[in-house]
Amino acid sequence: MTLSNEALAAMVRPDSVHKHVYTDPEIFALEMERIYGQAWIYVGHESQVKKTGDYHTTRIGDQDVIMVRAADGKVHVVYNRCPHKGAKVVPEGDGCTGKFFRCPYHAWTFKLDGSHLSLPLKNGLEGTCYDPANPDFSMKAVARVDSYRGFVFASQSAAGPDLKTFLGGVASSIDNLCERSPVGEVEVAGGTFRVMQKSNWKVFYENLHDTMHARVTHESSFVAAREEAKEIGEMPFELLIMDGNGEPYEFWEKLELRAYHNGHGYMEGIFDPTAATRDPVSRDHFAVLTEAYGEEKARQIMGMNRHNTIIYGSGSPHTVFQQFRVIRPVSVDRTMIEIQTFRLKGAPDAVFDRALTYANLINSPSSNVMPDDVEVYKRCQEGNQTRGGDWVSLHRYLGTDQETPDGMVSTNGTSELPMRNQFAAWKQYMLNPPTQATPNQTASTEAGHAAA
Amino acid sequence: MQLLDRSFDVSTVPVAGATLSAEALRGVEQFLYREARLLDERRFAEWLALWTEDGRYWVPRFHDQANPFEQISLFWEDKMLREVRVRRVENARNWSQQPLTRSAHLVGNITIEGLDAAGHLIVRSTLQLTEWRIEQRQLAGAVFHKLAATDDGGWKIVLKRVNLVNCDDVFANLEVFI
Ligand code: FES
Ligand SMILES: [Fe+2]
Repeated sequence: MTLSNEALAAMVRPDSVHKHVYTDPEIFALEMERIYGQAWIYVGHESQVKKTGDYHTTRIGDQDVIMVRAADGKVHVVYNRCPHKGAKVVPEGDGCTGKFFRCPYHAWTFKLDGSHLSLPLKNGLEGTCYDPANPDFSMKAVARVDSYRGFVFASQSAAGPDLKTFLGGVASSIDNLCERSPVGEVEVAGGTFRVMQKSNWKVFYENLHDTMHARVTHESSFVAAREEAKEIGEMPFELLIMDGNGEPYEFWEKLELRAYHNGHGYMEGIFDPTAATRDPVSRDHFAVLTEAYGEEKARQIMGMNRHNTIIYGSGSPHTVFQQFRVIRPVSVDRTMIEIQTFRLKGAPDAVFDRALTYANLINSPSSNVMPDDVEVYKRCQEGNQTRGGDWVSLHRYLGTDQETPDGMVSTNGTSELPMRNQFAAWKQYMLNPPTQATPNQTASTEAGHAAA
Repeated sequence: MQLLDRSFDVSTVPVAGATLSAEALRGVEQFLYREARLLDERRFAEWLALWTEDGRYWVPRFHDQANPFEQISLFWEDKMLREVRVRRVENARNWSQQPLTRSAHLVGNITIEGLDAAGHLIVRSTLQLTEWRIEQRQLAGAVFHKLAATDDGGWKIVLKRVNLVNCDDVFANLEVFI
């Protein structure tokens, strides 16, 4: 390790950040250990593993893990590694492993919490330390797993704040997403997209609340949508969601940016919430929520009009259109985005239709909007490889951010507060490595599962 | 919203057989070759004119996907969205099209499958597509065209469905039509 804490601390200034945080593979490796090795990271939604034995593979930083539903109804998260020779026990993707895991190499078997079940020809291990209770013969569970309203998070560190404390104020976005269902529940539905960006993972987080880029980066798509609307004489939903990026600067300046601890936050909505009473889909949705919660609460739920939310390290839920763009760092200059869409249980079908349309048009690899984003992210990645300067600016509205009981709020919607807030969290993680977890922790005790 | 019109027949399974003369078959083949060529030469205005008013362009996200209404799709576009895509890639400030995506479509194994319920001709072909934008990408799959006969003896596209071999892959952007 050549990077001292002093060197890392010097990379984040109040008004700027050193470009090496985006380009240095050694820093990326440290991030995997110090951020992804201790923060709570979203692994998936409980609805992705409905029945006993259902599993979903994903990654926590650079670690391949399996989220699996055990016979007791609990969701466990274990590393995808067989303790014998190290083979990945299940292939990438979703599936059902039945009552137990069985390694394809030499048929060692494991219970769904990863603990050792059996292996062939046991007498060959007589006189060794082999013991089903010895954690060296089990698949290792991730240190902590917890679920917030069906959203499963895991932390690779046994120490640290609990999930609710970690989420802090940003939990309100998950609450709002769930409350948009009249029964308070959502499920992943319709399939997920996976899109690759050739840039560092932090570039995307910063962009999510970067209101100054919208009308510049997205000129090609909002102009295309406006030209088309003019030609056909109307602005339907499909075009409206591309048109929003073209709002003038005055519009963006009026928005509110919220910053919470641990790098989280949200950005106020860019679509008009009063549309709830105007468009038929929102109107029907509102009626169903009114029946379930009463008119005042229904108005409050649908009036909570947030655009991108950020759960730092996990990704970006979008409450109004029921998306979760999960951000998975792959390497210092590669980031994979896994895009989930949710069905609001009990809500009218048209609400899910709209979520699918939004996913198809905005978040899919064929989106007319994202390519220009992905292009500028890559240009940042490449520009920062040059000797043309060392610092990346975070100056906008510096010093004007206002403290709130649970974080900070911008005084102007074009503030770079969200980026400063993310780097404050980054610095906090990077200067405070996780304390070493007890070795060979298994799923046998509290660790490794979420409540049913 | 036209995209959500579930009455649109996306099935590519024929309900009746079709017999074409050698000359008519040749006409169909030439139509597919021309479609591919218009894309390769980025003659998008001419390509847009190959479609019927309510024609749909579909690239499923899943193998054997039943329809584009219950699940996401890599592309699911009507006339309006095809036009928006063309307007975007032709906009001068299309940062992600600098340089442009270049392509070579190779269309082969053309077979006539039969007719759909509305009497549209269902044609299957195999596509090999090389794309280049800064780096090269290979795409491949089976393509189903549903074609409506025009009065002048030509064809218009009612449905183009592209079943990519890697539809469940991780993708970089898909900016132009496949
Ligand atoms: S590597 Fe898994 S049983 Fe041998
Ligand atoms: Fe953007």
